[in-house]
Amino acid sequence: MFVPHSELDLKKMFDELSINSLDDLFTHIPDALLLENGLDLPESLSELESIDYFNDIAARNKSDLVCFAGGGHYDVYLPQTVKSLTMRPEFMTSYTPYQAEISQGILQVLFEFQSLVCDLTDMELANASLYDGATSIAEAISVAINKTKRDGVTISSGLNPNSKEVINTLIDKNKFNLNYVELDNYLFPSDYDFDESQAAFVVSYPHYEGSCQDLTELVTKAKDKGIVTICYVDPSMLGVLTTPGQMGFDIIVAEGQSLGSPLSFGGPTVGWFATKKEFARLVPGRLIGESRDKDGNKSYVMTLRAREQDIRREKASSNICTNQTLNAIGSAIHLSWLGPEGLYDMGYHSIQKANYMKKSLIKNGYVIPNDDSSLREFLLEVKTNASEVINKMGDKGFLAGIYYDDKHVLVAVTEKRKKTEIDDYIEALQEIDNG
Amino acid sequence: MVSGGNASSLPLVGGKPEPTIKELSSPGRRASNFPKLDVPEVKINHESLKKEKARLPEVSEHDLVMHYSRLAHRNFAVDLGFYPLGSCTMKYNPRFADSIASDSRFANMHPSMPEEFTQGCLKVMYEIGNYLCEITGMDYASFQPPAGASGELTGLLIIKKYLEINNLTNKTEIIVPDSAHGTNPASARMAGFTVVEVETDDRGMVNIEKLKEIVNENTAGLMLTNPNTGGLFEEEILTISQIIHNAGGLLYYDGANLNAIVGTSRPGDMGFDIVHSNLHKTFATPHGGGGPGSGPVAVKEFLKDYLPGPIAENKDRKYNWYQPENSIGRMHGYHGNFLVTLRALVYMKLLGKEGLDTLGAYAVLNARYLSSKVSKIIPLAYDEPCMHEFVTSVKDLKKSHKIKAYDVGKALLDKGFHSPTIYFPLIVPEALMFEPTETQSKETLDDLADSLKSIISDLQQEDIVLEDYPKNLPVGRPNELIPAKFLTVNWGDFELLEITE
Repeated sequence: MFVPHSELDLKKMFDELSINSLDDLFTHIPDALLLENGLDLPESLSELESIDYFNDIAARNKSDLVCFAGGGHYDVYLPQTVKSLTMRPEFMTSYTPYQAEISQGILQVLFEFQSLVCDLTDMELANASLYDGATSIAEAISVAINKTKRDGVTISSGLNPNSKEVINTLIDKNKFNLNYVELDNYLFPSDYDFDESQAAFVVSYPHYEGSCQDLTELVTKAKDKGIVTICYVDPSMLGVLTTPGQMGFDIIVAEGQSLGSPLSFGGPTVGWFATKKEFARLVPGRLIGESRDKDGNKSYVMTLRAREQDIRREKASSNICTNQTLNAIGSAIHLSWLGPEGLYDMGYHSIQKANYMKKSLIKNGYVIPNDDSSLREFLLEVKTNASEVINKMGDKGFLAGIYYDDKHVLVAVTEKRKKTEIDDYIEALQEIDNG
Repeated sequence: MVSGGNASSLPLVGGKPEPTIKELSSPGRRASNFPKLDVPEVKINHESLKKEKARLPEVSEHDLVMHYSRLAHRNFAVDLGFYPLGSCTMKYNPRFADSIASDSRFANMHPSMPEEFTQGCLKVMYEIGNYLCEITGMDYASFQPPAGASGELTGLLIIKKYLEINNLTNKTEIIVPDSAHGTNPASARMAGFTVVEVETDDRGMVNIEKLKEIVNENTAGLMLTNPNTGGLFEEEILTISQIIHNAGGLLYYDGANLNAIVGTSRPGDMGFDIVHSNLHKTFATPHGGGGPGSGPVAVKEFLKDYLPGPIAENKDRKYNWYQPENSIGRMHGYHGNFLVTLRALVYMKLLGKEGLDTLGAYAVLNARYLSSKVSKIIPLAYDEPCMHEFVTSVKDLKKSHKIKAYDVGKALLDKGFHSPTIYFPLIVPEALMFEPTETQSKETLDDLADSLKSIISDLQQEDIVLEDYPKNLPVGRPNELIPAKFLTVNWGDFELLEITE
């Protein structure tokens, strides 16, 4: 399938090569390594048959639940404009823009992506994407270690638990100490004393539990000790939140799903990475720069390539090659579609709705342990068991949130949720609790 | 020559540069719209809330659509023309897979849902695992790695953990051919290994004698593609495998070149212990301008406990996640690039046994045919039968006419084709590496060869200025020094410069 050759084509090609069959192509491969009867796999399906096949699989997903889950991935409204434009085949079916003259489209969108990320976070230099939020944190930690040559990392425990697992995989525990600092009443302890042996301070903004705090003083204290400060930010809340740049962070990383990508069962989404220019030569991944051709025409081109694996090999700043360009394009287009007012509405509506939900839950006898400090996401204390509640809420048409621990569900309210959905959620929860 | 793969009719030729979205911004415009707030609005005081709005462009929806569509027009793509980019497997990406991956029953699934709610997604992961293991000759697979380089790192971390658990921590050296992809040594270094290079011999294959000299009790493993980056099948692969295994090392297969052997031969049968595949190459998922990809890792039975998890399994007619016992841990925040994995499964289903059994053979046929044509114009780097790609060198033209591989690639752009990969592998001077893939027609291959012939002849003319190529595109060669020196990586940066000649 998708092979164009007719019998006639094959004959001409075989003649050019003086062979009689496809098998003759492989006479130089040891016999022991040639598959005798091919692969043990099912027969091909036509497109029409495949529709039925994948319909059956898709139907096994509980895909119609009203989503109150977040944790980095949010059910925000993704406009058709963004979906249509990112699916343009010129973007979707092109390769990395190594040949700048016929890749100005991808290069300029990525340049715009980098610039939009910088404007949104108040940073100076963003790369053209990393895999996802979790791996971006690990890359940022590596930058801090390379910059400071120190071997300790101070990490807030208020990070997505999967992100912590990724950090634990990617940062060599035999060489570096990962010091996780527990939150105090869902906030990073403001009196925390940083230690000069630390390369990085990593903190989530807001925290995984949904609580949010001004981190300016902590950042100042850490930087005074020569520590590289890394903020893992929820970018779709930056229409309403103070930016990490305003708080003084050196590096920001983000899970960019909520700007430009569908939930996608977690991937492909996009990791954002932005920093100050002083870190430029340590930055992982691709960077696009603006230049001019010999006639003075504006042109874009990949730059600072000497950091990358295909040139520096084992001395590269990271091994990343293929990244998440198409999702970065989605972020750029979604941010442009939103504009300052749209991103504000997205954040403002979500915190108003979350606030409404929290107050309604409290009114109905539920406990929200981080009510005061949380914004669009919060912990809900359940009366039975969190897994059980999530499963039973599923039967009632809701994705109640994310299992946090046996007593708590992490609930996110995006701008997409309607008042009626929130009211129905609470009613369903009460029905479950009342047996 | 009329062929399906020539894009020289593309309306790429534009007069003026496209402004940035910021330059198109005008205060008060907006594309977005949201429903009115339907909950009672209250004053929310929180120390993290700011008063000012974000710095973002203000554009109308039509301006936005026109802008990004015009940028799309300034980009070459598989859907527009022939992309003979060696090592990248730029084959046709079936439209049908797009429709399945866009189905909201897959695309809108939240990654933190309990497994009872995601049986469809788990089934996808489970099924493609079976396909991939059969195709590569391995036993267990994990789809955590989101790209090839991540797959490599996964494989190396598996080797490391395996050595640790078996008290073989003296083994710290990873052998990599001097022709390897840059990601190989970069990944090995990231995993904490020392990189040792093994030379390539005159035939373009691993130098067995040198390999024997390098291998010792500290050898942790060897990373290899087969066919190798020169597009040649490592005919002594069974000997290589024996040398590494006898030293107690493991054999890692870089799946960048898997397309050449699908249905013909399997890494697992060659002795490889760990394999990563690039679903965005071999299994036709779109490259997206540089990503997303998917780089699953498959291993032999004895390494299954080290794989990154969670991994989908099927028990009692229900799909579950399981975490391998000695897992290296997560390589991705959730389940890897799931929608890419899904597209690859769609492709495998469409091809089925018939299509997959002959996939590698047709890829090799096209490369062998094109190499036969191209070798009459510029010499091949190695006088050996190529697999799915081949390397040529213009080092003689450089000597005689100062024509570099770079110039040939640029001139080819004008003819409606993407350039082949240039300057790779690093061991071949002035290298041009062609990979046609199985989805291009004979006419397109002929067309490329004819165009190459006319370019080589044009570039040798006396009055030619090589730097003028390409001539027919919206921009000429960008000055690469300016952004590197002045870090013009953000809008406004360039305008601040006062560049003098």
